[in-house]
Amino acid sequence: MTEKIRIIVDKDKCYLCGGCAGVCPSLAIRVSSSKWEFFQDKCISCRICVTACPVGALEAEVVEGRA
Amino acid sequence: MSEIMKYDVVVVGAGIAGPIVARNVAKEGYSVLLIDKKPAIGAPKQCAEGINISVFEKHDIPYDKRFINREIYGARLYSPSGYTLEMRYNRVSGVILERKVFDKMLAFYAARAGADVLPRTEATDVIRKDGKIIGIKAKKEGEPIEIRADILVAADGVESTIARKAGINTYAPLHEFDSAYEYEMLIEGFDPDLIHLWFGNNVAPRGYVWVFPKDEDRANVGIGINSDNPMTAKHYLDKWLKENNIPFKKILEVNVGIVPVGGFLRELVKDNVLVVGDAARQVNPMHGGGMAEAMEAGTIASKWILEALKEENFELLKNYTTEWWEKDGKRLERVLRVRKVVEHLTDEDLDVFIQTLSGIDAEKIAGGHYSEVIKALLKQPKVLMSPRRITLLKELL
Ligand SMILES: Cc1cc2nc3c(=O)[nH]c(=O)nc-3n(C[C@H](O)[C@H](O)[C@H](O)COP(=O)(O)OP(=O)(O)OC[C@H]3O[C@@H](n4cnc5c(N)ncnc54)[C@H](O)[C@@H]3O)c2cc1C
Ligand code: SF4
Ligand code: SF4
Repeated sequence: MTEKIRIIVDKDKCYLCGGCAGVCPSLAIRVSSSKWEFFQDKCISCRICVTACPVGALEAEVVEGRA
Repeated sequence: MSEIMKYDVVVVGAGIAGPIVARNVAKEGYSVLLIDKKPAIGAPKQCAEGINISVFEKHDIPYDKRFINREIYGARLYSPSGYTLEMRYNRVSGVILERKVFDKMLAFYAARAGADVLPRTEATDVIRKDGKIIGIKAKKEGEPIEIRADILVAADGVESTIARKAGINTYAPLHEFDSAYEYEMLIEGFDPDLIHLWFGNNVAPRGYVWVFPKDEDRANVGIGINSDNPMTAKHYLDKWLKENNIPFKKILEVNVGIVPVGGFLRELVKDNVLVVGDAARQVNPMHGGGMAEAMEAGTIASKWILEALKEENFELLKNYTTEWWEKDGKRLERVLRVRKVVEHLTDEDLDVFIQTLSGIDAEKIAGGHYSEVIKALLKQPKVLMSPRRITLLKELL
């Protein structure tokens, strides 16, 4: 039932505001002053970050799902 | 082996809450380090920069023209069909700051009081020894360092990473956040002595569009919407500007951020770790303003940090939680209840309410005499005929 996803950032759209890191329930995103990073092992595939981004800079890519 | 630094208190985040704590604690002679991941404290701004005039005296902040863009005399609210409600005072009620300068000056006051301040220094994790937190790991201009401290203050804004790494659960559901997007731009035709707020389910779901003037023809023009909305904040702001034929081709800044609007923490302290400001979700859930709240929390937190250091008793830190809930938490909880009612208003409700309120003495509304305002609304025929509206309003009484 559950799909496993990977979150991808559009670097040219992202403002490094840190919001997605703040709403992520499992600390799977880290935003430093110069880059956005994603930690696959921590992600619980909830897509909260994708919905929350004020500019739509994030996308979810299915890495493993139900066939 | 990375460089090791040692302080009484380390404060992560030099926005609003962090520098206030650092200043107050350093002033009493304790060693404090304030760090921020930004290369330049205050930049980029993620704020509409509006704040009540009372905070300067209350938190001992100089009223310095270098960070005050404009004095404001009140507000004008607009309903979906264009009814307006104006609250105008004959004295300055608030100011629009220049946060890039303001945050930097707050850090300057902390440094002048004795704190060390390091920008481009990002906390990456906490350091534990025998189950106790003894400091943080950080990267200073890319180099790993260790900062040992007796007390750790997480003032790291909405991200709230450090508090969570220290074991304080600051998680809140997505519905308890607003996503915000803003242009600082040239704009004409709005009274520059007032802030302007537009409401409506198609204008700004759950939130509002704002114009906060920084000049006669320059303003922060932005929007906040519920973060669980499927559309983006940017989408709604651009749509509103286009629909109102407001040209937006003279833009000086684009500002982005997410604001907590609920999810207050029961426990703000764990052992020797305190969480303050946006990191602790201490924001007014109705309008998303969090600077005054961050100052208040910072002031209370620093008071108990000083007591704990003087008495060498870290149990005293827990009094920050108690005092914050007494002084600001209860109030914000009431505001949250209002937000939860208001977010269910239809456009027609908003029209009726704003139309009715424009007939009421504005001082009463602005003065916070909400029960009188609600009683006045309850007498309105369009309200009396709607059991749903009556129920909504009675919930607020
Ligand atoms: C678009 C927008 C408009 C707003 N408008 C208003 C308004 O008009 N009035 C108002 O009162 N409030 C407003 N707010 C809310 C207000 O900006 C915040 O409530 C306020 O800044 C909170 O202060 P803070 O000190 O808690 O956090 P912040 O000001 O966010 O400061 C946190 C700091 O921590 C740093 N940091 C984060 N993680 C780390 C780390 N790991 N290591 C080192 N440093 C770190 C960040 O770089 C940042 O400088 C607005 C917010 C947004 C997004
Ligand atoms: S919320 Fe969006 S703009 Fe902000 S850091 Fe995350 S991806 Fe970037
Ligand atoms: S999908 Fe959920 S868990 Fe994964 S990064 Fe986004 S918010 Fe975090």
